[in-house]
Amino acid sequence: MRLVLVKRVKPLPLGGLVIPGASIVIGILISTVVLYVISRADPLVTLSCVASALVSPEIVLTFLFLTILGVALLVAFNGSIWNIGAEGQLWLGTAAATYIALFTTLPQAPVVAKVAMVLTAMALGGAWAAVAGVLRAYLSIDEVPVTLIMNYIAYYIINYLVRGPWLGKKTWGYIRTDMIPDQVKFTLLPGSTTVTYEVLVIAVLALIAVYFMLKYTSLGLRIRILGSNPDALKAAGVNVKALIITALTLSGAIAGAMGAAQLAGYLHRISYPIESHTANYGYTAILVAWLSMLDIRAVPVAAYIVSALYQAGISMQIAGISSASATYVFIGAVLLTFTVLRVFSEYSLRIIRG
Amino acid sequence: MDAASYVLSVAPAFMAYYLTSLGQGFFEKSGVLNLSIDGVFVLGIAVAYAASIYSCSPWVGLAAAVLTAVIFGILLTYVTTKFPVSHGAVGLSIMFLGYGLAGLVGVAARNTYNEMVVSGIYPQFTLPVTPIAKVLMFAIPAGLGILLYLLEVRTKLGAAVRAVGEDPHAATSLGIDVLRVRLIAAALGYSLIGAGSAGFLTWVATWSEGTGINHGWIAYAVSLAAGRHPLLTVGTAGAFAILATYMYTLQAAYNLSPEIAKMIPFIVAIGAMVTFMSTPLRKKLAPPQSLGKRFFKEERTV
Amino acid sequence: MTLLKTYNKDFSSKNKPPVVSVIGISKKFPGSIALDSVDFTILEGEIHALLGENGAGKSTLVKILYGIYVPDRGEIYIRGRKARINSPKEAIRQGIVMVSQVPQLIDKLTVAENLILGLEKYGFITRVGKVRYFIREKSREVGIEVDPDTEVWKLSYTQKQLVELLRALLLNAKVLLLDEAITFLPLIEKKKFYKFIRDFASKGGSVLLITHKIYEALEVADRITVLRLGRVVGTVPRSKVSPDDVRKMMFAERSSQVTYERLPISTPRESAALEISDLWVMGDHGDHAVRGVSLTLRAGEVMGIAGIAGNGQKELIQAIVGLRRVEKGRIRLYSEDITNRSVSKVRIRGVGYIPDQPAKYGLSLENSIEENLAMLPSLTNRLINWGSIRDLARKLIKEFNIMTPSPKTPVKFLSGGNIMKVLVSRELLVARRLLVAYNPTRALDEVTAIMVRKFIKEKASTEGIGVLVASEDLDEILQISDRIAVMNSGRVVGVFSSSEVVRDEIEKLMVM
Repeated sequence: MRLVLVKRVKPLPLGGLVIPGASIVIGILISTVVLYVISRADPLVTLSCVASALVSPEIVLTFLFLTILGVALLVAFNGSIWNIGAEGQLWLGTAAATYIALFTTLPQAPVVAKVAMVLTAMALGGAWAAVAGVLRAYLSIDEVPVTLIMNYIAYYIINYLVRGPWLGKKTWGYIRTDMIPDQVKFTLLPGSTTVTYEVLVIAVLALIAVYFMLKYTSLGLRIRILGSNPDALKAAGVNVKALIITALTLSGAIAGAMGAAQLAGYLHRISYPIESHTANYGYTAILVAWLSMLDIRAVPVAAYIVSALYQAGISMQIAGISSASATYVFIGAVLLTFTVLRVFSEYSLRIIRG
Repeated sequence: MDAASYVLSVAPAFMAYYLTSLGQGFFEKSGVLNLSIDGVFVLGIAVAYAASIYSCSPWVGLAAAVLTAVIFGILLTYVTTKFPVSHGAVGLSIMFLGYGLAGLVGVAARNTYNEMVVSGIYPQFTLPVTPIAKVLMFAIPAGLGILLYLLEVRTKLGAAVRAVGEDPHAATSLGIDVLRVRLIAAALGYSLIGAGSAGFLTWVATWSEGTGINHGWIAYAVSLAAGRHPLLTVGTAGAFAILATYMYTLQAAYNLSPEIAKMIPFIVAIGAMVTFMSTPLRKKLAPPQSLGKRFFKEERTV
Repeated sequence: MTLLKTYNKDFSSKNKPPVVSVIGISKKFPGSIALDSVDFTILEGEIHALLGENGAGKSTLVKILYGIYVPDRGEIYIRGRKARINSPKEAIRQGIVMVSQVPQLIDKLTVAENLILGLEKYGFITRVGKVRYFIREKSREVGIEVDPDTEVWKLSYTQKQLVELLRALLLNAKVLLLDEAITFLPLIEKKKFYKFIRDFASKGGSVLLITHKIYEALEVADRITVLRLGRVVGTVPRSKVSPDDVRKMMFAERSSQVTYERLPISTPRESAALEISDLWVMGDHGDHAVRGVSLTLRAGEVMGIAGIAGNGQKELIQAIVGLRRVEKGRIRLYSEDITNRSVSKVRIRGVGYIPDQPAKYGLSLENSIEENLAMLPSLTNRLINWGSIRDLARKLIKEFNIMTPSPKTPVKFLSGGNIMKVLVSRELLVARRLLVAYNPTRALDEVTAIMVRKFIKEKASTEGIGVLVASEDLDEILQISDRIAVMNSGRVVGVFSSSEVVRDEIEKLMVM
């Protein structure tokens, strides 16, 4: 008897729901076992942490950031361009916004300053991603290592700035920048300490714009075809090099916008070193984009689940486990399960006797 | 310090980076994109630390780290070769798992250690700090590198690894079992990655949560900067080990910011990739044609 | 075993024992049946042709014998013993070796490295140098000159195929599967391979020659098995059949539609649609693939470019549409210089392009007909007007009789012939002045292939556009062209008008 993996004629019915759903459940169960075996964390505690995280109001901020960063990655992923660099693009966006807020005279006109913060953040995030696009388009250098490596270059550039020229005057010995002026901080939603109106606006705009772009513009169509058959695009007369660069630039620009949003929304300054202060949204968003199976309508759902797992990690501290370790285990287990199960949406196992 | 001891101080960092990047480069030659490296590296350190404490022997720590790394290497290789899945996604999942498990394993071991200290037992073992040990920390990795190089360019196994990295479909047709060859490459490559991560402990000599994070990526950069060539990797590993070891000395002497020093390996890696792809070096140092590509046609026996 | 015995009785020709027997093999692919209860037997020392048009299931059958596919049902017997072949490695162990149309060698490795991979007697730690002598000796024995230390990418197509044959010998092959491996070589070149095959068979080896060319099967095979739509039509000894019998077996009721006759000549107009002067283009490996080609194509004329794979035809075509940089020389489209213009600039001037392996390079199979239309810069603006694209899709579906559930269905769910119609109809739509094509009917069944050629020819003569068709299939060139240019080593070595053309002469120029 042999097991053979065969491509399905039509994708698994409801595969878009069943497969991510099953992966999340299996991934959480695997994590629960792992946490019990290695750290003796009571499985009931683990599961209740996950359950309560699902309804925790704490997850709104993470949810919004992961949704938009997921959408940002989706733009590139749809064209099979694997932008692993949202983390660096996000933080350079923060750096660009910091520059506008602290080192220009723009904050005297708060609305202009806020717009300028977002736009320069988009420009820098986009430009950063475009570097990988140029290398991929003109030299066929795989964008995966490049975008990944550039995250670290971005970290160290910002660390350098924060320790050096941008070091704040009133920091009580901490290595960090000054607080951005109050008037350029985003406006908090009533009852929240982190979620702002402006972030909501950016989120809604980004979702609508990307949805429209993918569906109704030739740019969007070409990005989608780039994912399945770039050679056909070349033969059709599409400038594939420019297309790759555009897709990465757009992806980086959206990530950059969220960089401005995290600064003006709740960070209000950059603290040294980034690698210990980042929430790693840029990396976590890869899981979100992946879980959505590249369907933009599923991105918010995926972001909701992932932000709950993220929050569950934080609650796990009551079980005596560091939040980082628990979150990593959850994310790793769900992502691995999903990556493998996903195969079955397009392939089926056939048993052949004899 | 005299000149010799300046050189010898680099040994632990060199050993950690070189072994890891050597393993990484050899494994990736077989066509599997390995993004699990940082997670496996961090996990290897934690496992080496834990096993050393439980057994009171650094050698057991080394063996445990090698074994752990190989298990994850085999998992990555099996899944990416048998199923039409994204190498990047599997690699990143293992990276996350590695980070998480490292925290769990390491903290548990540290708690045990603290309990032992409280009850009056001091688990002790010596880390190799003698000059001779440090010379060996250069010589053994370099020797392994030469062996691996000869294996890669002279033997049938080397040809097979390169063949499955270039075109696994043609390799199958030539009579190669792609999975088998990739598993052998994974076993060899991840043994070295595991050994490198255990070696990292001789450099930092202590463990806390997060130890080693990003150093796996430096090793990745070391391997990319040398075009995955075992002998060239000696140069890049050496250079980046010097940077890492003397980061603060360099700051004092040449006003080189540690942030810039940390950045250099990554910039060099990108610069090297650009050079390899835009010059005749491409023939020898370009990445394998099928690196990271799904190995699947119409169907596959599982 | 009783089944096996009775089966063999039918074909017990000249007491040769069977080497491979295939009984009741079936194989389904998603959406289609590739093989349906296929039985056949290869005897010791025979050359057996497996004949059928594209899509008949020949390749699937060979891939099952070589362990690449697993059959859904059925059994394979090797020398009377039931065998299970799960991988090429196991096939090689049983003495079965395949040579495909596209050489399955690793370009970056040397000949010796490629050849040692399959040799099981050498363990993984063997030095590659150890087989060098063995390879030299064996290659001299069969009269193939090849340096074991050459990297494979430096070899020509024919040399690579010779290395594949050498590989079969080194592996001690008892059964050689040739999957269209020599189909597109000119007869003169083929004869060398035929001699090799006959020698091989006379020493007790068996050869399964897979082809879709009737004359090739008749030329060299002892017996011919014909496949049609996944079923065996019959196995016949060559001595007892005429080409016409075989044709009827291959095409059945459609055989009247299959013709290799030249299509009616169109009348070229005065103006030159395409002028190429002293064109030099680089190949993939850093040397010139096109070396000073000059050609003039009139409007309303179909010019065919004949040549063996890898003689610069692909690069020439790509240079014309802007996919490859021109090093030297000029390309003019209706006297406008388009040298080194981008593909979109060339295409927007009314140039249609049908690339090699159209389903791979011409269309995106994951996307719908509508989307495959909208991807062309010459058919859409920045914002896509899906309404007008839909109307256009409906029009093409109707005009070309494309069988599809809807214009929104992903193209991959269509049959091969209909996929091709999508591409051809789209390209004919945009080819207002020039159509360029490379192997436009590769992998199509004969009826569809002829239909495509007719569409192209019609467009040339009714609308007066220039058509340049390069093809490795000389039959195709002879059928469609008004004039024929022969390419060899990057140069045009002869131009013939179709009224004066002699097949032999063209073949001679192809290998000269």
